[in-house]
Amino acid sequence: MTTITYPLSRIEGHARVVIDIYDDEVFRADFQAMEMRGFSHYVRGVPAEQITVIVPRICGVCSTAHQVASVKALENLFGVTPPPLAEEIREVLLLGQLIQNQATSLFVFTMPDRVNASSLFEFSESEEGKARQFSLAQMALRIRKIGTDLISLAGGQFIHPIKTTIGGVTSGIPRAKADEMIKTIDELLPVADRLVDTYWELSLEMGDRIGSWGDDEPTYYLASTEADSFHLNSNRLHLMCPRGDVCQTFTPSEFEDYLVVEDSDYSYAGTSSFQGEILRANSLARINLTNSFGTPKADGYLKRFVETFGRPAHAIMFFDLCRGIELVYALEKSRLMLQSDLEHGDTEVGYTPRDGVGYGLVEAPRGPLLHHYEVENGLIKNADFIIPTVHNMLAIRRALMVVAKRYVSTDGINSELGRAVGRVVRAFDPCIACATK
Amino acid sequence: MENNRELPKFAVLQLSGCSGCEVSLLNSDEWIDNVNLVYMPLVVSSNKIPDDVEVLLVSGGVRTDEDIHNLRKGRSRARRLIAVGTCALSGGVAQIRDDHPAREAFLRSSHRLRLPDMLPHAYPLDRFVPIDLYLPGCPPTPELFITALTQAEDAKIASIVCQECGRKKLQDMRPASITGMRSGVTLPDICLINQGYFCVGTSTRGGCGALCTRPGHACVGCRGPANPYLYREPAFVQDNLRKVFRRMTDIPEAEINEALDSPWLSLFLDQFTDYTQDESLPLRTKDKFI
Repeated sequence: MTTITYPLSRIEGHARVVIDIYDDEVFRADFQAMEMRGFSHYVRGVPAEQITVIVPRICGVCSTAHQVASVKALENLFGVTPPPLAEEIREVLLLGQLIQNQATSLFVFTMPDRVNASSLFEFSESEEGKARQFSLAQMALRIRKIGTDLISLAGGQFIHPIKTTIGGVTSGIPRAKADEMIKTIDELLPVADRLVDTYWELSLEMGDRIGSWGDDEPTYYLASTEADSFHLNSNRLHLMCPRGDVCQTFTPSEFEDYLVVEDSDYSYAGTSSFQGEILRANSLARINLTNSFGTPKADGYLKRFVETFGRPAHAIMFFDLCRGIELVYALEKSRLMLQSDLEHGDTEVGYTPRDGVGYGLVEAPRGPLLHHYEVENGLIKNADFIIPTVHNMLAIRRALMVVAKRYVSTDGINSELGRAVGRVVRAFDPCIACATK
Repeated sequence: MENNRELPKFAVLQLSGCSGCEVSLLNSDEWIDNVNLVYMPLVVSSNKIPDDVEVLLVSGGVRTDEDIHNLRKGRSRARRLIAVGTCALSGGVAQIRDDHPAREAFLRSSHRLRLPDMLPHAYPLDRFVPIDLYLPGCPPTPELFITALTQAEDAKIASIVCQECGRKKLQDMRPASITGMRSGVTLPDICLINQGYFCVGTSTRGGCGALCTRPGHACVGCRGPANPYLYREPAFVQDNLRKVFRRMTDIPEAEINEALDSPWLSLFLDQFTDYTQDESLPLRTKDKFI
């Protein structure tokens, strides 16, 4: 037996791909998370009201989603309804995270695969090539920074944000700051447009070099955004069946009736499935489920995507293209939301703690994130985190099998395999810290 | 941002952590102009730290045997090593203690087939290698990263969080309980302790710009103890906080004590002081702190 191990870079956290080959046949392809965060263990016994500060530390990339999901779970448990203004500010916060994440995945993690570079910061030898890549990197980082600034504005901190608290948010967004942000978005939206177009063209040029083109088998898609109103501060989950109809809609408290979450022997991350069927979450799931974004540019891209690739679309590389569409949407939408008054009016209400069970859902960049707490005597008795990356684990494994089989034959192992497994995994943009919660 | 070979070779090694420190570093625009980034798996495809690195940033705690190996190897290849973030300095927010109710369950799940085992505890870096500079924070702000990379010697860091907070401490506003966060009102400009929050900014190292307290969230002490408490045992820091709450509030002693036992503190501020109990660790002098 031959075992090949590929350590992975340009993803969040420590993970590797291990492929076992026996008699020139691939019989196993694993995606392994190599460390465990373990928060579901050690938040046991924590005073419930303190958990909202602790759980963002599960992951510094996704801390915003964890913080909001955590607060929503306790609001559900304590029976608190935050004021509408607080809900708006939380949506801006989550849009900021979507911008930061999609820009990072598109330009820092996957763009180098499109131009055969080892990183966004590695530049070619020729002056012309250097200038082009330099300007590309500059633009990409500036767009990413809009997301960071929005998180700071609506969340108080750019990592492990703190403004969202049980009952609302601690303060609004001042007009002057909002106007400043709008100006930046106006300046950079056309740039984002151009970058997304470039990315789209470069991706299609890769064509058959993308190992994952092979795995476009129809499958189930999971998202918590609505078909005609795309909200990240979400309340229910939708499951799209392989033929393209939304076959299940359920609330966070019903998740165990639909999702089977299991541990894994070969990875510190588990798996989830829809009653045993392979699931996909993240950008492609949302785009497959979206009829309209309600913003002009994003709807233009959506139309182009559906007309070109159909609905539902299944090829793995579409995850990357869909991130581009969502990046444009999040810029347009946050601009719209910042135009309204987010400064005046009640931003929070009081609450009285009580024991019970609570669920908090948000649509994180990687898919639906659900926090589920049981509180007894004011302390966390059980905490469960249903993680977007975990929804994709079986789909990643299947895609890796397809790729491995493509590049392993009786002639040997094609050296392209290493790059191909990297591209496949990055298409799913997995987050290992979250997945091992 | 040009890849000039004259710039010092710079590497970022991430042990067991959340990537928050790396994201914070990415958020500071200037750093990439000043270094030749040779290793940082989060953003660069590279599997190996080169031999002659000028500065190695290490984030995350030591939680697997691979972490120990990578840390020692990294140290041997770098001229200067900067320990970054709460996890690198204390083992981590992810620390799980011997008396923790979920310890058994944690240990049961800390092995997998064909993967590195989790160590029974999370350890700070200086248990294994010497450290040239400590940069605490969860995560440190981009500004602090730049300070650590460019002008560590003559950095002026606010001694405590209160210095940068700008909220006023009032004499005549004395809360009777620590339930401020339940009230649904956060007054701007007034000290959070006056408003019944359990804020530990009075004992916590500054330099963060009071990012949390200014918008209205209590400081949980992620930058660790201020200089006067650096080598002090946990009880000393707790006594100091107790005095602050006695002086500024009418909160009953029992409630203050309960708050001092809080996981907020044990996950952040206390971890750095707990460290003083372990005699196998080197003394951390204040001139090595940003």
